[in-house]
Amino acid sequence: MMKDYTILAAAGTFIVLILDRIMRTGIFRRKLFWIYWVLVSLLMMIVNGYLTWRPIVIYNEEKMLGLRIFTVPVEDFFFGYALIGLNLIIWEFFNKKEKEQK
Amino acid sequence: MKFEYFIVLLGVAAVPLIRSFSREINFYKNIKRFLASVFIPFAVFVIIDIISVKRGLWTFNPDYVTGIYLFSLPVEEVLFFAVIPFSCLFLWETVKYFERRMKNK
Repeated sequence: MMKDYTILAAAGTFIVLILDRIMRTGIFRRKLFWIYWVLVSLLMMIVNGYLTWRPIVIYNEEKMLGLRIFTVPVEDFFFGYALIGLNLIIWEFFNKKEKEQK
Repeated sequence: MKFEYFIVLLGVAAVPLIRSFSREINFYKNIKRFLASVFIPFAVFVIIDIISVKRGLWTFNPDYVTGIYLFSLPVEEVLFFAVIPFSCLFLWETVKYFERRMKNK
């Protein structure tokens, strides 16, 4: 059985890291980003923790590693990092462009 | 309770919704930037989610969703991908605001 979710989460995170290079946003080099990252991870623990504890979202164990922090699959964190990373890269890309125009 | 996933979303978005209009955050000044940052990830991840559900990666507990479906996903799950980017940008701008404040001291 293919670990589809593991592959998806890893690929998503990887693509976001590459995208940051291509768009030259450089967010991962900023110390502030890592403070934000810690906060986001804690909030993810709460939100995804609730969603998986009830459970509101039910995962197919065969499609993932089965490693969980509390009730949250490790894949959830990386899937979330991909979403939030894409979001932040676009935001900071526009931010940089705006500053350059000034 | 059918509204549980919906309440989780409200919980996530409540503070950002109220505080994002404050002068310090300056969220909607560049509306194009705001919309692009929320809705590009939204579109990408809704598509990924539709495919993931089709491939059987995860399902939703019918006890905790309203039963309104959009593109074969519960409406809450679709909203999730707009609520999270929105709330995370708010958190990012808040962290940046505190950094500025500390530097000015």
